[in-house]
Amino acid sequence: MLTIKNLHVNVDGKEILRGLDLEIGTGEVHAIMGPNGSGKSTLSYVLAGRDGYEVTEGEVIFAGKNLLEMEPEERAWAGIFLAMQYPVELPGVNNMSFLRESVNAVRRARGEEELDAIAFMKLVRERAELVKLPEKLLKRSVNAGFSGGEKKRNEILQMALLEPKLTILDEIDSGLDIDALRTVAEGVNALRSPERSFLMITHYQRLLDYIEPDHIHVLAHGRIVRSGGKELALELEEKGYGWILEEEAAA
Amino acid sequence: MITAELQKGWAKSLLEAAGSAPAPWLEELRSSAGALIDGLPLVNRKQEAWRYTNVEPLLKESFQPVVERPSGYPGEVPEAITPHRLVFVDGWFMPELSDTALLPEEVTCGSLNDAIAAGDERVKNRLGSVADPGEHLFTALNTALVNDGLFLHLPAGVKLESPVELFWLNSGGETPLLAQPRNLVILEPGAEAVLVEHHLPGEGERYLHNGLTEIVLDPGAKLDHYRVQDESEQAWHFSRIVLDQGSDSRYHGITLAFGGHLARTEYNGLFTAEGAHCTLRGLYTVGDDQLQDFHLDVRHDVPHCSSREQFKGLLYGKGRAVFDGRILVAKDAQKSDAELTNDNLLLTRNAEVDTKPQLEIYADDVKASHGTTVGQLEANQVFYLRARGIDEQKAVHMLCEGFAAEIIEHIHLETLREQALARLRQTLGNL
Ligand SMILES: Nc1ncnc2c1ncn2[C@@H]1O[C@H](COP(=O)(O)OP(=O)(O)OP(=O)(O)O)[C@@H](O)[C@H]1O
Ligand SMILES: [Mg+2]
Repeated sequence: MLTIKNLHVNVDGKEILRGLDLEIGTGEVHAIMGPNGSGKSTLSYVLAGRDGYEVTEGEVIFAGKNLLEMEPEERAWAGIFLAMQYPVELPGVNNMSFLRESVNAVRRARGEEELDAIAFMKLVRERAELVKLPEKLLKRSVNAGFSGGEKKRNEILQMALLEPKLTILDEIDSGLDIDALRTVAEGVNALRSPERSFLMITHYQRLLDYIEPDHIHVLAHGRIVRSGGKELALELEEKGYGWILEEEAAA
Repeated sequence: MITAELQKGWAKSLLEAAGSAPAPWLEELRSSAGALIDGLPLVNRKQEAWRYTNVEPLLKESFQPVVERPSGYPGEVPEAITPHRLVFVDGWFMPELSDTALLPEEVTCGSLNDAIAAGDERVKNRLGSVADPGEHLFTALNTALVNDGLFLHLPAGVKLESPVELFWLNSGGETPLLAQPRNLVILEPGAEAVLVEHHLPGEGERYLHNGLTEIVLDPGAKLDHYRVQDESEQAWHFSRIVLDQGSDSRYHGITLAFGGHLARTEYNGLFTAEGAHCTLRGLYTVGDDQLQDFHLDVRHDVPHCSSREQFKGLLYGKGRAVFDGRILVAKDAQKSDAELTNDNLLLTRNAEVDTKPQLEIYADDVKASHGTTVGQLEANQVFYLRARGIDEQKAVHMLCEGFAAEIIEHIHLETLREQALARLRQTLGNL
């Protein structure tokens, strides 16, 4: 589904990603861990198409297409969804209208019929219940004044509405209490299917207990320096990143 | 350059065409205002109030004052949202196009000129008592040429259920016309009303609208006052609204300014007794060849009054805006509560705003704050929407609407709120 080859990315003239390789198969769940500042969010933004990231080398192929040539909205239409580490507040933009606009824009682009107000309302109620997002948050401005956990739930609600092919979750677990973490994980697991893939960025083993990944990668200094199965996360939890970084430096 | 010769000459030519007044006392009011004109300061850059608003091209234009009621109106009158509809053409009340039949009998609502001609004492007593004709050239001109406009009077305790809706239209023609409406609104103790004004081109393109509205709110009276200024792209528009608020009265004013080539809206609020509250809000949009100018002057002369001023501007193309908001809290006005904000969103590099909030506080026990911002759309916000599948243009529109929503949402009439949103979308469609 997603193939990243030798990706080099500069931000403000500074090289942040330095030859990153990653392959995510259809239906797979991958987790990326790594020290602060190693480039995890940078990777997620590059995949979603945010401005300000200069790709100097390498390629990203998504579902057979060159992802880097696509506009952010085209990537959303193609099935990429990024749940952001810091969801953006949109004062004055009503959440419900925004969600409907988003769902219908994606449906239009996919040649599906738009949902009318009533059909949409039904859908959004159902999905909001799934992620336990209080209905009053639908009436407010997008993320404006939402608590950290509410913002994350709103991201997951959008995921549940858009049903993306590849979901990137950038620290979806940060700022969530234990119950919220479980709810969010249930939301993700409900969407898990042989057709959908996930890329989770996290610092903590706990999320991986709820959403079991097929593969775990360690991102450091702008590259994947180690990949493994579930046991790698346990090892990291126990020993930290030091040993991997030392091994990498020695190599 | 605006010289004394230009300013005086321009005013003089207009005054010569004044026509006759419907009552001797009005003739006096007019001529005393006319006499002020020669002594008034020039409306040029040297005056702070006119520093960023260049009216020189206007003073080089000649206008024909409309000194009698037009015999008819060739265009269509827009649909009203309420049963009480008043249509004015070139500043004159048009009874045959208006409908006030369903208003309670004790309410006076109609032509100011007719009321004066009929010897209405209430007009004689209050007209000119609230607004200072010597404020500047345009207020003096309005007073020196008073003919018609709205006279609305609600006796004590009368509460109107439906809004009173005014349509200001222009008849157009070869010569640019000068419409000079003078409005007087009196709400006696405890009376309540909602007033909606639409300023529209009608058949006109190049014209000057120079309106002056005096509003008297007696103790406990409440007025919601919505104004939609959607003049022609070539029109000049001046509106001054002067408030005289008694104890515990409430005024909620919202101006939505979309139109005009050069448009200036002035609010002048005065609290005369304790416990009064005044809210002024505004939304303005400006593009190429447009200037929107807002001047607010709210005076807290007595204790325990509160005022809120919230204005937002959307600027694009080479649009220009001026915001000058002043709140004065006098020495004895303890426990005053005042808050003023002006936020501007610049969608292009060439748009420009001059914003100046001023708090002048002479009392020591007051709550007062002000803030202004001038910014651009945040790239982060646009990206967020695009990442959710919304194309860039639509994303920009949604964010602009969101910005404007903070004003529009304060319109308590659903139909008007929808009209305002639709009108805003029309502007956004031209971005
Ligand atoms: N816009 C920017 N301008 C300058 N430096 C940037 C910018 N964006 C990212 N960086 C830098 O790039 C590096 C990687 O940042 P990134 O946010 O990708 O890290 P991360 O792995 O997600 O870290 P964390 O675990 O703390 O979220 C950091 O050193 C960061 O300061
Ligand atoms: Mg990060």
